Amino acid sequence: MNTAAPLDLASIPDRIQSEVQRAIQRSIKGVEYFASSGPSLGSTPKDILHARGTLSLYHYRPLSDEIYRVPILIVMATTNRGYILDMVPGQSFIEFLLKRGYDVYMMDWTAPKPEEKSLRMEDYVLDFIPDCVRRVQRDSGETDVTVIGYCFGGVLSLLYGSIFNDGPMKNLICFTTPIDFREMKLFQNFSDKRYFDVDRLIDSVGNVPPEMILSSFEMLRPASRAASQVQLWDNIWNDEYVKSYRMFDRWATDTLPLAGEYFRQITQDLMWENKLYNDAMSVGGRPADISRITVPILHAVAEHDHIVPYDAAKPLIQKIGSSDKEEVMLKGGHVSLVAGANAIKRLWPKLDTWLGERST
Amino acid sequence: MADKSNDPVAIWQNMIGEMEKGFNSFANQAMASPEFSKAVNQVGGVTAGAQKQLGDLMEKYLVSMNLPSRAQMVGMAERLQSIEGQLNEIRALLHQVHNNSSAPEGGYAAAPRPPRTKRPPGAGGEKK
Repeated sequence: MNTAAPLDLASIPDRIQSEVQRAIQRSIKGVEYFASSGPSLGSTPKDILHARGTLSLYHYRPLSDEIYRVPILIVMATTNRGYILDMVPGQSFIEFLLKRGYDVYMMDWTAPKPEEKSLRMEDYVLDFIPDCVRRVQRDSGETDVTVIGYCFGGVLSLLYGSIFNDGPMKNLICFTTPIDFREMKLFQNFSDKRYFDVDRLIDSVGNVPPEMILSSFEMLRPASRAASQVQLWDNIWNDEYVKSYRMFDRWATDTLPLAGEYFRQITQDLMWENKLYNDAMSVGGRPADISRITVPILHAVAEHDHIVPYDAAKPLIQKIGSSDKEEVMLKGGHVSLVAGANAIKRLWPKLDTWLGERST
Repeated sequence: MADKSNDPVAIWQNMIGEMEKGFNSFANQAMASPEFSKAVNQVGGVTAGAQKQLGDLMEKYLVSMNLPSRAQMVGMAERLQSIEGQLNEIRALLHQVHNNSSAPEGGYAAAPRPPRTKRPPGAGGEKK
């Protein structure tokens, strides 16, 4: 049993002085916080290769004198902006890949317009991804492409890979990708078929508003926003803490609306029927069984992921048809897995080692 | 290393962390019940319907006042975004043309890109 250490009376004046200095710094920095904008995010040089409605395809300018033969196409989750993978120099997954000699493209999303409410899963899986793969092939001059999918971008990549299983995808990397939607227990309860009328919602709002998406994420940890603001005030004297807080807070609240029909399909096919797990998924009438995927796959999952719990992600490696497959579980949460300090130390080097030897 | 067991700041931070965990855990248990789902979806359904009706009403009001609605402002923002996108494409093309213009005589060459010859470290590739 631990016992409290005796009070060190001699250190009290120093500690009071330190706290007074911090209190002064808090006041000064607090004013600065509200008077300044946050750090510039997503600033790694890139060119827009293609833009169509909600879709933007970027090509990042190489930062290495020599690059791997196989280009990478990143498929971002449709609920969030892609700059989570390109925060600031030194804390950017994209910059890391470029410096390690990869040729990087990204499918990023903007808010779907009201008239894009009719976009369906078919548009994402049978049109947007194949179209971008073709554009990457044309731009890079290479036939093979490595696909990296983050969160629901991973689901879209799996659906694409299972339908175009004889296609150009050479490697697949998924980050925190759910397969068994029964295990997303709170989301399951929020969308309980008995009480959640998805048709009424979509028919009345068109596209699902970003506030609703953000609320559903925040409801998973309802005290965390308030607690993070208390922690911000405690640490507002610390420039590094504030910079990091602003980056992640801005990204987390920069949620995108979802196209109405696409959301309806996700709810009905994945949340209610769990079709991907039950090998019953099809897109536009084409079977999308992930056991048809045979390319090398790496699945990175986070130990403390509250959005995609491990039980929801675990079956991916079990069900995929590849023989060259690996799951890596790392400390951290849904976001810190790909963009936090742990990502820099653990995930990125692991991914580089795995992908480098499969990119020649 | 400084002892934190009687440091009021450390105690405060620890307390906030524990309160956050405790409340999240309690709320997650409450939110896992069917009653919660029923209640939240009833409220959500009513709110979505009310928002839609209010939006329609507001749109009519703004039209009557000869003012742009939110949808029109969003539309304008999207047009601007699209123009920005096209400007980016033009900038990329200009960048490419600029690179080409510095190519050797004899016409335009493709923009220079690094060779795709990299090998992983340990397979004859560069060491980092």
